[in-house]
Amino acid sequence: MDNQLIYAALLPERVSWFILGPLLGLLTAAFFLVMNQPLGASGAYTQTLNFLRRNGYRVIWRIWYFAGMVLGGVIVTQFLQDSRGFRSGYDAFRAASPLWLVIPLIFIGSVLIGYGAKVAGGCTSGHGICGVAQRSKSSIIATCSFMSSAIIVTGAIRLISGGNL
Amino acid sequence: MKTRQMNFFGLFFGAGFGGILAAGTLHEYDTIHAMLRLDEFYVYGFMGSAIMVATAALWLFERKQTTTLTGEEIKLQRSKPQTHHIKGAVVFGSGWAIAGTCPAPALVMLASGGLLALIIIPGIFLGIHLASEKGGLEFGDGEHRQITSSFQN
Repeated sequence: MDNQLIYAALLPERVSWFILGPLLGLLTAAFFLVMNQPLGASGAYTQTLNFLRRNGYRVIWRIWYFAGMVLGGVIVTQFLQDSRGFRSGYDAFRAASPLWLVIPLIFIGSVLIGYGAKVAGGCTSGHGICGVAQRSKSSIIATCSFMSSAIIVTGAIRLISGGNL
Repeated sequence: MKTRQMNFFGLFFGAGFGGILAAGTLHEYDTIHAMLRLDEFYVYGFMGSAIMVATAALWLFERKQTTTLTGEEIKLQRSKPQTHHIKGAVVFGSGWAIAGTCPAPALVMLASGGLLALIIIPGIFLGIHLASEKGGLEFGDGEHRQITSSFQN
C-alpha cells in the first residue's frame, strides 16, 4: 500500500463507458482501414494454438495481436492505473465459495468458453462487436444467443448459491 | 503490406484493445458478473456504444467505398445464421457466466496480475482444441471472414 501512496495513477479505477465504448468502436473501424479484418480475440487464440503446436492455419500477425492484448493490459493495469502487483482476482466468487471450488468451476467455464467460441465461430469481440457492426445476421443471432444464455446461467448460479453470487 | 508491418499493426491494435478493456475493468470477474446479474449498466453501455460507433463507421466506409491504407476496397463480411452459431453461442454464454470472463479479458486479467487467469487461459485453449478435434471450423472469430491472398503468409 505504501508505494501506492507516492505515485498518482493517470487513470481512474474505471474510465466511463461512454468514453471507452466509442473508443473501442473507432478502434474496430480503424482496424478495417488498416487490415480489412474484424478485430476478434478467439481467432487469435486459435491461431496462437496452431502456432504453438506447429499445425494448422495460422497468420503470424494474429499471434502478435494476441501478445498485444497482454501488452495493453500490462501498460494500463501496471502503469496507468493504481492496481500494480499480483492478486488472485475473482473477488466476488471467492467471497461466496472456497478456492478449491472456485478453481475447478472457472476451469470448466473456461473450457466452455473456448469450445463454444470455436463452434460459434466467434466470441464477444468477433461476433458481439465486429460481427454485429458488420451487420452480419449470423453474428446478431450468435450475440443474442450468448447474451441470453449467459444471463440465464447467471440467474441459475444465483439460485444455486442461495443468492450469494 | 509487408509481414513486419502487419505484425506491428497486430501488436498495436491488440494493445489498444487490451488497454481499453483494462481501463474499463472488463477483466474483472466482478464487473462481468454484475453485468450478467443485471445489477450494473456499465458493460451494456460499453458494448452498446462500441457497436453503435463501429456500425456507423463501417456503414460509412461501405457507402463511400473507402479503401484501406494499402488501397484495398473495404469489404464487410457477412454470413447466414446456421445452427452451429446458436449452439456454440449458448455454450460460450454458459462459460462466460461461470468464469465471468471471455477470451480477450482473460489475457488482460493475466496482465493485471490476476493469477487465476492461469487457470482460465489454458482452459480456453483446451476448449478450442476439443472443438477443432471434432472437425470444427478452421477459424475462430467471425468465420464469415474471408481470407484474401494478401493475408496468407
